[in-house]
Amino acid sequence: MNRRVLLIGLTASLPLLVVLAMSFGRDPHRVNSPLVGKDAPLFRLRGVAGAPPISLADLRGKPVVVNFWATWCVPCHEEHKILVETAAAMGSSVQFIGVVYDDEEAKILEFLRLNGNSYPTVVDVAGKTAIAYGVYGVPESFFVDTKGKIIAKHEGPLTRELLYEYISRFKAHLG
Amino acid sequence: MTPLLGRTLVLLSLLFASAGAVFAFAAALRSSRPALILARRLAYAYAAAMTAANLLMISALLAHDFSVSYVAQVGSRSLPVWVTIVSLWSSLEGSILFWGLILGLYIAVSTAIISRSFEDYLPGALGVWLSCATFFSFLLAGPAQPFATITPVPLDGPGPNPLLQNHILMAIHPPFLYLGYVGMTIPFGLASAALMRGQLTQDFIRPLRRWLLLPWTFLTVAITLGGWWAYEVLGWGGYWAWDPVENASFLPWLTATAALHSAIVVERKGMLKGWTLVLIKASFLLTILGTFMTRSGVFNSVHSFTQSSIGPTILVFLAIASLWSIFLLAMRIDSLESERHPLYGASREGMFLINNLLFVLLTLTVLIGTLFPLLVEAFSEKQMSVGRPYFDQMAVPVGVALLFLLGIGPALPWGRATKDQLRRVFLLPLAAGAVAGGIGFAAGVRGVPTLATLFAGGFAAVVTFRELSRSLPTRSSAARGPSRRRFGGYLVHAGAVVVIIAIAVSSTMKTSIDAQLTLGQTVKIGDYTLTFAGAREVAEPHRQSIIATVNVSRNGSQLGSLTPRMNFYENQREPIGTPDVRTSLFEDLYLSVMNVDPQNQTLGLHAMINPMVAWIWGAVGLMAIGSVVILIPRRKLIIAPVPTDPAMAQIAPGVEVEAG
Repeated sequence: MNRRVLLIGLTASLPLLVVLAMSFGRDPHRVNSPLVGKDAPLFRLRGVAGAPPISLADLRGKPVVVNFWATWCVPCHEEHKILVETAAAMGSSVQFIGVVYDDEEAKILEFLRLNGNSYPTVVDVAGKTAIAYGVYGVPESFFVDTKGKIIAKHEGPLTRELLYEYISRFKAHLG
Repeated sequence: MTPLLGRTLVLLSLLFASAGAVFAFAAALRSSRPALILARRLAYAYAAAMTAANLLMISALLAHDFSVSYVAQVGSRSLPVWVTIVSLWSSLEGSILFWGLILGLYIAVSTAIISRSFEDYLPGALGVWLSCATFFSFLLAGPAQPFATITPVPLDGPGPNPLLQNHILMAIHPPFLYLGYVGMTIPFGLASAALMRGQLTQDFIRPLRRWLLLPWTFLTVAITLGGWWAYEVLGWGGYWAWDPVENASFLPWLTATAALHSAIVVERKGMLKGWTLVLIKASFLLTILGTFMTRSGVFNSVHSFTQSSIGPTILVFLAIASLWSIFLLAMRIDSLESERHPLYGASREGMFLINNLLFVLLTLTVLIGTLFPLLVEAFSEKQMSVGRPYFDQMAVPVGVALLFLLGIGPALPWGRATKDQLRRVFLLPLAAGAVAGGIGFAAGVRGVPTLATLFAGGFAAVVTFRELSRSLPTRSSAARGPSRRRFGGYLVHAGAVVVIIAIAVSSTMKTSIDAQLTLGQTVKIGDYTLTFAGAREVAEPHRQSIIATVNVSRNGSQLGSLTPRMNFYENQREPIGTPDVRTSLFEDLYLSVMNVDPQNQTLGLHAMINPMVAWIWGAVGLMAIGSVVILIPRRKLIIAPVPTDPAMAQIAPGVEVEAG
């Protein structure tokens, strides 16, 4: 038995295997947002179909879910139904806001008629808010705590489980 | 019916491979001939079962039998026949099935050849090969089933990933890659057999090297085809991005290249036996690492398959294969009886050693760069990526040094060179290097790495050409075999010299412009004038495209038009551009669309002039031809042990004579 060969072989291969084993579950597409942990960029956007405008600053004191979506985005349809249901279930404890990105008024109304409408929807004219939030693609959701800080960001459609998981983090932040 | 038959074939292959491995190892331990005969038959049976399973899958794909889960996953009635056949390896389960086919064919052919002359090595090798086969059959039987049953049977399927449908190279690149990757199993088994027997005789190193050269050649071509595909399809004008999956194919290539060189030292001097076996084993293990990287969902890459559950299984296999290899090496490396000779710096074997060190250094550099993001993320919340600058900075000096060595090594004699010899062999190459550097400088090259590459390239070119002409096979040559081998080897070197120079020039001397054009507007790049002649929409069954037409003229004369395009696929969020390239001997004009509006007839154009890119493809072709020259079996000489040949010394007078 050549101990030197054994030692060199093991020191070269074992750490490598360990690192690979630790990497399971890593999502290579995930990009951490530099906004997480920072103050959410403020916005004041007009509501859809002449509804009153909404300002993020006015919602201070309440946890907010900001969901960027569009009617041309296929996964947004399924996600929207889950958001509508959850928002209704949460009542006034969590505020949901849908921000529509790059879209047309008529299509938005048709979308809301089809998929439900239980929380305010605002229109991001010229996409300025999406740019401020660094939105890479829709759907994308931001979770803003009572002090106006972004505590989490989610890319892609939310499932019911994920949504509840994120909302439970609001409580963790409070308590 | 088909799913059931397919599953039966997969289970049979699992049975044949595992039983065969057991009998082969038993034969190795007890030198039992009946066990070996049985193992050999089971190896052929495994190959037959895998071939049948693959044929069954292809016929199911062609018949659009959507009751087979894999067909339902990748098949589609609207596809052309070639895409339907290609979809055999376009997705995870099918690619493992295809892997099984290639492995079966390799095992069958090498079993037949090795049993003829080196039967002593067969039991151990067969045991290792069939163990690998067992693993892949296990994947097909459990975690990556291609023949699962689907009910209710869908009427149509989605077809494979659109990126894989848009260029014919996608039909050629993967099979070559598999032939390279899977083929590394054969030298791995042979090297393991040598270790199990505790000896590596000089006559066995020859077939071992040939069995390494074969997958090496496929891998060389496959890597290049991959680069070519990226260049023709992805639209950013480059062919290599140090992407994790590209690196995964490059790593075993590097260690295999090192092993091909150290094997020559084993053959000539009886030195470096253990080291050569380490390199061969590493090459195989790196192919399994590469398989893990492509299929575990841990790495992000244009090449990788989607998330899957087979990652942990592959990792377990990698761990077992690595630890077993290390223990086997540690136990038997001392019994190989490498000869020890004094090693002189200025000698052929000295240069082989430096060559090996450089290749291993490059392997480690690329490996660390590829895995570093995983390491950081495993121990902290931070995300990081290692980009081009790291790889370029590390790889360029090593590449230049290897190119220089390509000139020095073959010019030096075995043993010790005298000062007089050195002066004689290096004077002309040095002059040629200076001329090449001078020409580059005059042509406007100012970057130090590129000038160094040109100098080393000129130097290496002269030496390679000299050796090439010396080893020209002649009809009267008494020892045609070895001479042909040298000739082929120097053809590979000649190709490598051109590849390295072309990479250096194409990556440092390119020019590019971005322009926003309206209909009829022109823009100049180099000597070319580009005129936007309109954009039109085209609908195809599987995609919508906007095609821009750009007229090209050079110094006033029309050269025709190029049509870069933007494609929109149904299930793809972002559009995918397809560039258009006009290739001429010294440079490519490369156009890709950044944005295009057919209503208002505007075009955002990215235009590039890439010098010498075509030389890379051509020179790799030359490398492949050189390998084939070595590999073509002619007479029985190839597998029969070659007598120690005084004839060798005669065909290459001067430098070939051993000085020591």
